[in-house]
Amino acid sequence: MPEPLLLAQGITKVYPDGTVALTGVDFAVQPGEVHGLLGENGAGKTTLTKILSGLLPPTAGRIVWKGRPVRFSSPREALHAGIGMVHQHFALVGPFTGLENIALGAEGSGLLLPVRARAIRRRVEELMQASGLHAPLDLPVEELPVGVQQRLEILKMLFREVDLLILDEPTAVLTPQEVDELFPILRRLAGQGKSVVFITHKLREILAVTDRVTVLRRGRVVAVRETRGTTVEELAQLMVGEAVGGQARRAPRPPGEVVLRVRDLRVPGPAGRPAVNGVSFEVRAGEIFAIAGVQGNGQSELVEALVGLRPWQGEVELLRQSLRGKGPAQIAALGLGHIPEDRQALGLILEFSVAENSVLGRLGPFLDPLGGVRWRRVFRFAQDLLERFSVQARGVRAPARSLSGGNQQKLLVGRELSKAPRVLLANQPTRGLDVAATRYIRDLLLRLRDEGLAILLVSADLDEIFELADRVAVMYRGAFTGVLPAEELDRERIGLLMGGVVGVRE
Amino acid sequence: MRAVLESLVALALGVLVGAAVMAAWGRDPWAAYAALFTGALGNARALASTLSRALPLVLTGLTFAVGARAGLFNIGAQGQMLLGAVVALSCGLFSLPAGLHLAVALALAGLAGALWALPVALLKLGRGVNEVISTIMLNWIAHWLTLYLVVQKLSDRVVGQRTFTAPLGMRFPPLYGELTWSFLVSLGTALFLFWFLWYHRQGYEVRAVGLNPKAARAAGISVPRALLVALLLGGVSAAWAGAIQVLGRFPYAITSDLANLGTLGFDGIAVALIGRNHPLGILGGAFFFGVLATGAARMGLRGVPLEMIQIVQGVIVVAMAAPEALRLLRRVPLPIRKKEEVAA
Repeated sequence: MPEPLLLAQGITKVYPDGTVALTGVDFAVQPGEVHGLLGENGAGKTTLTKILSGLLPPTAGRIVWKGRPVRFSSPREALHAGIGMVHQHFALVGPFTGLENIALGAEGSGLLLPVRARAIRRRVEELMQASGLHAPLDLPVEELPVGVQQRLEILKMLFREVDLLILDEPTAVLTPQEVDELFPILRRLAGQGKSVVFITHKLREILAVTDRVTVLRRGRVVAVRETRGTTVEELAQLMVGEAVGGQARRAPRPPGEVVLRVRDLRVPGPAGRPAVNGVSFEVRAGEIFAIAGVQGNGQSELVEALVGLRPWQGEVELLRQSLRGKGPAQIAALGLGHIPEDRQALGLILEFSVAENSVLGRLGPFLDPLGGVRWRRVFRFAQDLLERFSVQARGVRAPARSLSGGNQQKLLVGRELSKAPRVLLANQPTRGLDVAATRYIRDLLLRLRDEGLAILLVSADLDEIFELADRVAVMYRGAFTGVLPAEELDRERIGLLMGGVVGVRE
Repeated sequence: MRAVLESLVALALGVLVGAAVMAAWGRDPWAAYAALFTGALGNARALASTLSRALPLVLTGLTFAVGARAGLFNIGAQGQMLLGAVVALSCGLFSLPAGLHLAVALALAGLAGALWALPVALLKLGRGVNEVISTIMLNWIAHWLTLYLVVQKLSDRVVGQRTFTAPLGMRFPPLYGELTWSFLVSLGTALFLFWFLWYHRQGYEVRAVGLNPKAARAAGISVPRALLVALLLGGVSAAWAGAIQVLGRFPYAITSDLANLGTLGFDGIAVALIGRNHPLGILGGAFFFGVLATGAARMGLRGVPLEMIQIVQGVIVVAMAAPEALRLLRRVPLPIRKKEEVAA
């Protein structure tokens, strides 16, 4: 094998909040290859590429570029060396034309831009010819479809003469037709000697376009494969991993009455594409109904619709009451508890004290007739909450920010349960938590299920799904690709459903 | 506690820089500061003058602070203050029993301030118009409207350079020196808003919305109502600043150049920042402003040129306001931020 264009060795990344995103990752890209980077969300794909493109410094490890050790302190430096990254969110200036965007920030494009415009245009046209990436250069980019904007982003990188092009989930924003157009272009670039790192969690795309694939799981490289020598099944297995620990200790329980009924739910997403496209399910008392899937397939939008934070169409009934037209307060009052996926953004107010957070959304019982807050009662209540849910905090007056992630989550869960909900919507309830806190939350959810609570669990963590769920739906591109009872679950099947390779209903 | 310490350090820095400026231009900073100190606090009369100047600033400071607590950058106090002043004075066009007349004037001025804040809320909630833009525009409308009324409709028949004076029954009774009972309005509003923000449900909701609107909404809090309440309360408070300046302080009228209303509204922003957007802190911040204003007169008598006094004032105010201003700026979401690191 020739000398790799890029070699990363022993890359470890620990974020300031203590999250370990990457552990000892080795990664090599050969000249002229399309290299797939495969993994579930949170596996570390984006972190790795951000390190390679100079956006983040690694905590440990070294990067060798064209045979020389390098240390990029900014994307600019990496770009200068020849590594360009196209992010999921494009870095284009909306009102500028395609040509202006390509020229923007490039060498010698400052004051001389008008003078050099012709030369730049000629060069870009040559690049379009050579690469097959065609895009209008004289229209404001905000008027162009996303797929064309993406081409401009790639052209921008080619214009800077990068040797390595990193594409972060480039197909996530594309229609199937646009995907079909993109792949031959990537092959063509590789044929011209450029290297492409292609990030995805979609197995078919890996097989369709890459030469080799590196699989990441939980911040570690679990495999590097020649694409020709692998299969969808193998990749699915590698991506989701072996079952850790045994099956759940769930006691079988006869299902209770239907508490939450969802019929043909549709939620509009960005750019008019539906984020949730006709989803139907029921959650019964005393069961945990789980929605599995790689993040970004509509789960967040589904949850936000159910709790009243997003407009939707279809039918949703909570205890036979329609939720149509109701806001978060009314829906919560009907008995829906919500553990949001991003507890810091949506669940807690970090600057507020533990006590103030403990009554967020249920201040009612603590008010005097004039609307004054009876803080002494709130403090007592918060203290009680801390004890019942074993939250470690300096006290009820300590800001929520001062709590660890696990304790923040326990506080949040305790608060939601104190509202005595009839159905609990737990969205990624253990993400980012340490082992002890994860254990605590999962045990709590199981106990609540046994006590007859209806629980809707949304999780990208298959271990969690396997341990907790009575029934599992797999969500892919806004729809369920299958709904399975726990007994029929197996990891490979779920992996395939999550990757959109097979659908039960197809 | 830490805030107090920060403020003291800032004050020391500001005073030092101010001293350096004066020294550099050959003035004796110690004599100047001594003049400032005695001029503002040297005797009961000076203290009364200082307090009297601080009173309207408390109210305009509260306007900004309540907005900031709701996550707003409300700089509409200036316009609301002007309008409050002119409406309060206009109540002198009809007569009522003493005392009641004052109460009615205050009520109508407050109402005018709230009405002037209403379009800010409606534009923001209905059309997403940023409050900075709308308040600036409304400030100008209020400015010219007030000027028109003062010059064309309310001017004194005899003394041309001011409006008619407020009838005695509409004035705040004098207390001591320049100080009148109008201090009750400022003190009462500050205490009320303190209670409101920290001991009332709606105040709790205002703060929740200001700190994390998404979480507040998810918890069922009405974000529009919280913003509306914060803007309306701010409008009332600012209008009262104008009202007490006219009804509670010599000349009990509005000068034709609006000079005795000056920039009370804008100064309130600095007062609020010095007071950390906390109603009780604002009492201190306004007092501090009063000290600078009253003391400056004495500094002038000591031969320090007006421009230099203003430089020194500016330096000290900027130093004092900086910590909170930086805190507010940090909350403004910028597209490129290290946040990426944590969020990734």
